[in-house]
Amino acid sequence: MAVGVKVVNRPGSLGQQAYLPAIAEGLGVTFRHFVKNFFGNVTGQRKKTDIATIEYPEEKKAYPERNRGLHRLMLRDDGQVRCVACMMCPTVCPAHCITIVPEEAPDGRIEKRPMIFEIDELRCVVCGLCVEACPCDAIRMDTLDHAKPTYRRGDAILDKEELMSRGVRSTAVQGGVGAFWREQVAGQPQTPASGEVVPAGAPHGPTPLRDHGHK
Amino acid sequence: MTTTPITTTPTPPSSSTEMVTVTIDGKTQQFPKGTVLLEACNQMGAGVPFFCYHPGLTSPAVCRQCLVDVKGQPKPVPSCYTPVADKMEVMTKSPRALDVRRQMLEFTLVNHPIDCPICDKAGECLLQKHYFDWDAKLARNDGIKIKKAKVVDIGPRIVLDQERCILCTRCIRVCDEVAKTHQLEMADRGDHEILTTAPGHKLDNPYSLNTVDVCPVGALTSKDFRFEMRVWELYTTPSICPGCATGCNIEVHHSRGKIQRLVPRQNDQVNEHWMCDEGRLTYKRVHAERLAAPMSGGAPVDWDEALDDAGRVLRAALDAGSAGVGVVMNAQSTNEDLYALARLTFDHLGLGKAYLAGLDQGWSDDILVSADKNPNTAGAMAIGAGRLRTLLDLANDLKSGALHTLLVVGTHGVIGKDGAAGALPLDRLTTLVVIGTHRDEVSAAAKVALPLCEWAESDGTFTNRLGMVQRVRAAVPPAGDSLPGWEILSHLARKLGATMEFTEAKTVFAEAKQKLPFMKDAEWGRPLLPVQLRFAGSRG
Ligand code: SF4
Ligand code: SF4
Ligand code: FES
Repeated sequence: MAVGVKVVNRPGSLGQQAYLPAIAEGLGVTFRHFVKNFFGNVTGQRKKTDIATIEYPEEKKAYPERNRGLHRLMLRDDGQVRCVACMMCPTVCPAHCITIVPEEAPDGRIEKRPMIFEIDELRCVVCGLCVEACPCDAIRMDTLDHAKPTYRRGDAILDKEELMSRGVRSTAVQGGVGAFWREQVAGQPQTPASGEVVPAGAPHGPTPLRDHGHK
Repeated sequence: MTTTPITTTPTPPSSSTEMVTVTIDGKTQQFPKGTVLLEACNQMGAGVPFFCYHPGLTSPAVCRQCLVDVKGQPKPVPSCYTPVADKMEVMTKSPRALDVRRQMLEFTLVNHPIDCPICDKAGECLLQKHYFDWDAKLARNDGIKIKKAKVVDIGPRIVLDQERCILCTRCIRVCDEVAKTHQLEMADRGDHEILTTAPGHKLDNPYSLNTVDVCPVGALTSKDFRFEMRVWELYTTPSICPGCATGCNIEVHHSRGKIQRLVPRQNDQVNEHWMCDEGRLTYKRVHAERLAAPMSGGAPVDWDEALDDAGRVLRAALDAGSAGVGVVMNAQSTNEDLYALARLTFDHLGLGKAYLAGLDQGWSDDILVSADKNPNTAGAMAIGAGRLRTLLDLANDLKSGALHTLLVVGTHGVIGKDGAAGALPLDRLTTLVVIGTHRDEVSAAAKVALPLCEWAESDGTFTNRLGMVQRVRAAVPPAGDSLPGWEILSHLARKLGATMEFTEAKTVFAEAKQKLPFMKDAEWGRPLLPVQLRFAGSRG
């Protein structure tokens, strides 16, 4: 089979085909930005320039309100730690970075509290699951701060005192007397007259008890 | 099945028991006459909830959580109190049955403090389970809850939380029917009703911790386990209690290589659903004062060196006259360790006798506890077959100078708290080789001491006082460098020029089973991985 040659016509005008005008145009854009940003910076008009970077750490960016940052432990009215060492957060933590050793609280009112509460911020994946899991509003990540760099790894493990030092009194009511059910469930179907209506988040019948497999 | 009391093991239909035909939720099945309807329903997978029913106790039907509809009955009936009858038609999920059960649950929760975050039962609590399974709705009650006493010290081993109690009376029935002491009772009425100790009594019977197991909620908690762990962090391995010759079937609950608690496992021939309080604390010794590394001449050495030394000193002693060499077995060892030791002693070394050590006798009752505090005396006696001597004989032989060398395998009770054993003049020996679990006087006096696995660290079998050979399973990793007895003994045998090639506990068992008549019906069982309680449902 004979090999044919197909001639393709270049598109555009002669000016486009020569490229040089486009190069000059591009350099012009670069130069315009340079002039604007350079003199904007010198005259203190930085905001009006196109510079997206900031001069960290002199200049800091405000985090959004719901940012997940460094942990803190909230306090009770009397300044004690709110945490009751229920172990929900270490259970749910995917990075196994929370270590809690519970102890019996001497005042008998709360019964249980953490003797040791440590979070390894190097291991933490900042997922926020611990905050979701906490039934006591004891652990929060709303410090708008993030883990500081440290010289030694051990320094990134925050202990109870350090975590509590950032804590403040929580306003969440403790003891389960929160919002009344009538306000919360208005409009939701309540205990049905017959067993069929199954509202959201509702019972799913018996979970089979697993045989531990031991005989 | 395990301690999970949701159902007892289904009784196999036999020709002698009369069978009745029952229809449950449209499915028809035959049950032996007299079966409790609740058991029948749950064997069919209906999952009928209950609080006060426990297969090991009588049924007072006080909680009304197990109501089901029976065709022809005007009202729902408590299934825990109703025996199955022929042609009975049961609807466990009729709208009315579901509704009354949901209302009963709501009623139970009216004054419940719902302090799950600090409650030790959370994760194995029947109230949590039934709520999530059958209700899972927001509370409709915005009244003030009735306050009751919280941390009530009702006995040496147990703390009571009266607010959490759902008044099922299971614990009262454990005291009355199992421990046979009436130490708990209900006081006051209506929503002020509380569980309390009988006037002038404490909950201090030797079976008191069973109340913690049966309590469906966290009203009764064990002081030993209190706040140690959340239950879903635990793994469970079935085993046998080493506390006495009864051999109660247990589950070892452990986490991160440490045993956290022992709980009973159902075995109707041995311990039904129960075990004694003393037995529950036997796990403590597994983690206390253990001999962690092989010692030779008082200094830690590695296994090879220690075995060489042990072999050398024993060889020298045997060459100097095997009549002066004694071997001490222990009734705390498994059948496998004892069998390996018996082969070494009687077959390879050709000694005519061995001494049997073990913990001193203690108290007993006719419920579970036996006076013999060793789990495997029956096995040791059968393996020793008439060649065993007592510790008293050992003391005499030591005093008379008949022995110059001793090999002790298992040091429990070798130096007793009192009596003859306490007077063992071990310093008369020229050579003492110890294979032992703990750092005690015996292993300290030894020329060579080799670390031995405790009962919870090695696989094997125990023979209980009824002659039942029951399986012990390794639950936690061995302390330090410890090895199982049969393994140490096979290494030692090789050093002494004998051949004893055991590769795993199972091969020792298989050989022993062939040779020893008392083990001929014994079963090794299938291999098991520890089950995490998090995925095992409620123990309740
Ligand atoms: S979930 Fe909350 S209360 Fe529970 S252990 Fe964590 S911080 Fe403490
Ligand atoms: S303490 Fe537990 S077992 Fe005893 S009556 Fe109350 S809920 Fe039942
Ligand atoms: S379980 Fe039947 S009434 Fe309590």
